[in-house]
Amino acid sequence: MSIKITIDGREITALADGTVLDAAKRAGIYIPTLCQVVGHKNSERPCELCVVEVEGLQKPVRSCSFPVKDGMRVVTKSEALTGYRKAKIETLAGTHFGDCKAPCNLTCPAQINVQGYIAHVAKGQYEEAMRLIMARNPFPFSVGRVCPRFCETRCRRILVDEPVSINHIKRFVADWCMAGKVDLKLGCAPRTGKRVAVIGGGPAGLTAAFYLARKGHDVTVFEAMPKLGGMLRYGLPNYKISPRVLDYETSTILRLGISVKFNQKWGADFSLQGLKDRGFDAIFIGTGAWVPKPLDVPGANLANVYAATDFLRSVAEGAALPTGRRAVVLGGNNIALETARTLLRCGVDQVTVVYGKTRTGMPANQRVIKEAENEGVQFLMVAAPVQIRQISAGLDLELIRMRLTEPDKRGVRHPEAIPGSSNHIEIDTVIHSMGQMAFGRQKIAAGGIEESLELSQKNCLKANVRNSATNIDGIFAAGDVVSGTRTVIQTVVAARRAADSIHSYIMGVPKKSESRFNFSRGRSFDDVDLRNFEGIKVKLREKMPTRPPEIAVQDFNQVKLGFTEEMALKEAGRCLSCGCSAFEQCELKSLAIDHKVNLNKTGMGKTLVYSRDTSHPVLSVDLNKCVYCQRCLNTCEYKALELTAAGFDDKGRAQGISLEFNDNCVSCGRCAEACSTGALAKTASMVPVISEPVKEVRTTCPYCGAGCQIILRVKNNTIMEVCADPAQAPNYGALCVKGRFGFDFVQHRDRLTVPLIRRGGQLVEATWEEALNHVAKRFFDLKAMYGPDTIAGFSCARATNEDNFIMQKFMRTALGTNNIDHCARL
Amino acid sequence: MTNSIADIIESDVIMMIGSNADTGHPTIGLRLHQAIDNGTKLIVIDPRGTDFARRADHWVSVVPGSDVALLNGMMRVIIEEDIYDHKFVETRTENYEELQIVTEKYTPEYVEKITGVSEEQLRTVARLYASPGKKCAIFYGMGLAHHATGTDNVKCVANIAMLCGKMGVPGGGVNPLRGQNNVQGACDMGALFNTLPGYAGLSRDDVFDRYESMWGVTLPRRPGRPATEVWDAIHDGEISSLYIMGEDPVLADPNANHAVEALKKIDFLVVQDIFMTDTARMADVVLPAACFAEKDGTFTSTERRVQRVRRAVDPPGIAKPDWQIFCELSKKMGYEMNYESAADIFAEVASLTPQYKGISYSRIEKTGLQWPVPNKSHPGTVVMHIGKFTQGLGLFIPEDYTPPQEATDSEYPMLFTTGRHYAQYNFGSMTRKTAGITRIYPEALAEINPVDADRLLLSVGDWIRITSRRGEVKARITVTERSQVGTVFIPYHFAEVPVNQLTLNSLDRLSRSPEYKICSVRVEKL
Repeated sequence: MSIKITIDGREITALADGTVLDAAKRAGIYIPTLCQVVGHKNSERPCELCVVEVEGLQKPVRSCSFPVKDGMRVVTKSEALTGYRKAKIETLAGTHFGDCKAPCNLTCPAQINVQGYIAHVAKGQYEEAMRLIMARNPFPFSVGRVCPRFCETRCRRILVDEPVSINHIKRFVADWCMAGKVDLKLGCAPRTGKRVAVIGGGPAGLTAAFYLARKGHDVTVFEAMPKLGGMLRYGLPNYKISPRVLDYETSTILRLGISVKFNQKWGADFSLQGLKDRGFDAIFIGTGAWVPKPLDVPGANLANVYAATDFLRSVAEGAALPTGRRAVVLGGNNIALETARTLLRCGVDQVTVVYGKTRTGMPANQRVIKEAENEGVQFLMVAAPVQIRQISAGLDLELIRMRLTEPDKRGVRHPEAIPGSSNHIEIDTVIHSMGQMAFGRQKIAAGGIEESLELSQKNCLKANVRNSATNIDGIFAAGDVVSGTRTVIQTVVAARRAADSIHSYIMGVPKKSESRFNFSRGRSFDDVDLRNFEGIKVKLREKMPTRPPEIAVQDFNQVKLGFTEEMALKEAGRCLSCGCSAFEQCELKSLAIDHKVNLNKTGMGKTLVYSRDTSHPVLSVDLNKCVYCQRCLNTCEYKALELTAAGFDDKGRAQGISLEFNDNCVSCGRCAEACSTGALAKTASMVPVISEPVKEVRTTCPYCGAGCQIILRVKNNTIMEVCADPAQAPNYGALCVKGRFGFDFVQHRDRLTVPLIRRGGQLVEATWEEALNHVAKRFFDLKAMYGPDTIAGFSCARATNEDNFIMQKFMRTALGTNNIDHCARL
Repeated sequence: MTNSIADIIESDVIMMIGSNADTGHPTIGLRLHQAIDNGTKLIVIDPRGTDFARRADHWVSVVPGSDVALLNGMMRVIIEEDIYDHKFVETRTENYEELQIVTEKYTPEYVEKITGVSEEQLRTVARLYASPGKKCAIFYGMGLAHHATGTDNVKCVANIAMLCGKMGVPGGGVNPLRGQNNVQGACDMGALFNTLPGYAGLSRDDVFDRYESMWGVTLPRRPGRPATEVWDAIHDGEISSLYIMGEDPVLADPNANHAVEALKKIDFLVVQDIFMTDTARMADVVLPAACFAEKDGTFTSTERRVQRVRRAVDPPGIAKPDWQIFCELSKKMGYEMNYESAADIFAEVASLTPQYKGISYSRIEKTGLQWPVPNKSHPGTVVMHIGKFTQGLGLFIPEDYTPPQEATDSEYPMLFTTGRHYAQYNFGSMTRKTAGITRIYPEALAEINPVDADRLLLSVGDWIRITSRRGEVKARITVTERSQVGTVFIPYHFAEVPVNQLTLNSLDRLSRSPEYKICSVRVEKL
């Protein structure tokens, strides 16, 4: 029997014996709940989030247990209800202890789902790992070789032994995809018909182009040089990134359908107004910072005194500037160090880096300094150039000793010259690396729009930090041209954000922002309880195979050779999987976000109470995340769970929780699907889904004849997990262990991938054309020689109806025999 | 199944014969358990002490292979005590007289001699199943069908259900649990040596005429050969080439060595599969196929429910859906089969197969339909044979008991039988690639009764050698009451313990199903 009730002013029909919550759910009206599951009994400790106001009653009631009555009027949303719910969520959050996102993910400037791609690697899903990286970084080859690895500095594994070699894993993934010429099938959104011009084909320009193209825009890149890559090609020596790798990397990006115009110099060959006139809907400027800051000493203009970027570019172009046998590099940044290493490779006997502060004060990465030293670069620290003079034997460089002042108000010690401490060295070449600017003394001389582009004091383009917009409508800029020289990954992030802003500008849609809401087991290492890592055995990181410096310095081939697959797998196995594998599903988190809970104000779990239990064959339990909603208990159809609490605290939260699986457990995993947090999880579902789209494909289980309906949750081309819909016949959410977990075979490496023909006793790979021609010819001959009934076919009780139908049709028509049967009896 | 999974909860009495749904069909097992929790009475006829046997109101622990005698004995009791459904027998069946004649000799004493079941238990379960006016369902599995007398067993099941009027009733019926996801569909599609799609026999000239005009080809009307006979035919030189889709007879076939020898002998072997199986290793051509998650199509479940299979990911490498491979090959052989999609093929199936006539992809987009679906507005058939049988009257086909093909003797004193573990499936090519499943059941264990273990001085974890007239395997043992005294059980999921080296390839005379479930063996400690 059905009755009428009104919810939020809408009249709906409800079943007479149901609850308000049931009625609302059936009518598609959302009422939050953490504990209720449709079709199952209510929790003994209700979460009370489902409270609603019923007309005529003083206090709100729990809709999960309040029966409907004909004509009743219910309100589900009000300030009072929201406040009540918010307080409840804050209480539960107060003891919820875990990490939503892993520290590596949070520390990465690009916010890459680091834990996710490491987990894909651990599962052997390298292609998917690559796609996950490229969702936020289209330069995995380059970044995998040059990144300063912000992520690794925050890796919790440091508290056990050493950080996970995250960047080496990333490089492995990229190199593996290149070695196998994997087509990543990176899709683009439907074409928008909008056109974007990108000036500059370096990391900034190509990153913007990549994400704009993926959003369906028509992108044209204008590149001044004859090849793509920008500073990666012309500013970094080949032993860091080989041109072959860079070619592959840029071609992967271009494969999205991006067009490139080479040898197009902004200001000479085109202007901003010209681009506007050609109908581009937006322009992105990512021209980098190529102009060297001048060396401000007498003699800086002598022959054989070069800027580092000019020198490196000459080497990259195969026409190295003359260097002689002795060289000094002035500066302490990464480019100075790479210049020094390049000089050694150019045959210079004696290379000295001169820097005004101490070695630890050098801005260059300490790893790079160490590598340069190992290769034979010498260092002259706390010294500064005074002047350079031409002498008959080459150049005379006058240096002066420096010392560091007492710390100033900000605690910084500045170098100052020690009077009378000058010193002369005789050399052939001086190369200086004082940093770079986007623009030199003159701006781009194209007149018009260029004239009015606003520049910063540091001769960079001015752009809004929020949306990368310049002062001119429709023109955006990001990367080194705005910020001055930064790391590749920082440029990539800036350009990706700019692409988002351009998309929102040309489409007139708001920019999506990600919530920064995050539970954490401790923001700094000091905050993290070491008991989190009990039982984790020390396992040191894999050592990157490296050519010995004395050999490496003899050529421009790469110094670091990359992880083997075995090493990458071992290294990925070291990941502690800090972030929650239920990131996407966690209802406590999504409700807290919806209710604008501020954990910093209201608090979150601070201490580890329970140790993680991984003894179950397919499930893992982390009761630190449990909010005692009892969904696991109430959805288990096997009575296999024993969930108890020793008591409850003054706010009604469970204490001393225990969750055990008894002998009834058949590992069906349904409880994990019902969990409202990440307390109960499928052990194999170790890849957290952060913001990546996951599609759900309904299909039929391939195991026994019960015909259970399953949902394959698929990210790109990888089955992430199998679930079941509790409302779907014939199994109504029930699955066995095979149905829910036994799908690793689908994408297993042992799958047959190409036709094989036996030749000389061996099965060898063949094309479809070859294989089918061969089969057709043999059957044709055998049929002609011995008659059709000497051929028999076995069809398959696991294949589809369509496959079986076509096979019997093939046997009966093309071959002409009824010798067709299948394994129904086997 | 004549009835449905959702129907289970309606039953007053459930009789399970040779089926352990907990391992073979866990989600159906769950519904059976819930029915029992709900008060449904349970009879289990099974030599193995399964969980269902332990929960049963009556566990009938028969001597393996004696089901026909037991069922005939039950029918004799039912007739003698006059508790059969007179109205049903009179109005809906024929040939009752012969049933009466054949079952007459299965007196309780005679039945006890064959089956080991006491008169008291025989009468109790017969009365319980016959319970007039109650809804009583029979569920059976491969434990009933995988015998040389499998068809006889199944006929006796049909006989007793009709005798007691349990057909065409919600909560009743005869319900085989099909072992594989699409056994039902493969049969429906006519992937059978003796029928065209929709079970049209090869003698139906009218059907052939229709197919020939639709397909534009002359079809062979000679009978074909069943799969299980193919090996002998190869040895006899009558079959010289084989096209195998998705099968691994080297592991799966009874008396597997016999099949291996045959495969070595043939001129040309094509194997189309998703993995490099032991059979594929022997092939002349191996064709890579897409698996269920990489193609569109339909499966038909054990409750006759036609449900969608959908492409979720790309096939690996250049693998293709099976149907596409056949279409391309057929074209090369001069017979064009042009289909744009699986939906196209299904439309042809629906046009040719009466049971599928009213089904289309759009109708089963969300929830599958249970055949027969005779027209586009028909809601599907939840319970078959209500009011009348599809083919007029229900024909009793009484059968006599035939002893198993291989009896125990002094040289091979124990019985050997095979089955499933709940976490594993078939020969493990799918399930053994999931680490969690391996954690649950990592190796094939031979299950031996404590009495036998004592006698053979075996304890848990010992290695044994099991030898039959056809071969031998080695396995570790576990000691359990699940195995009857004198019986060894090994699940067949592990290539390392290839149980079909032991099993017998004697076939049922009608369905040509092999006697997987019984052979005699010798057990020795290693």
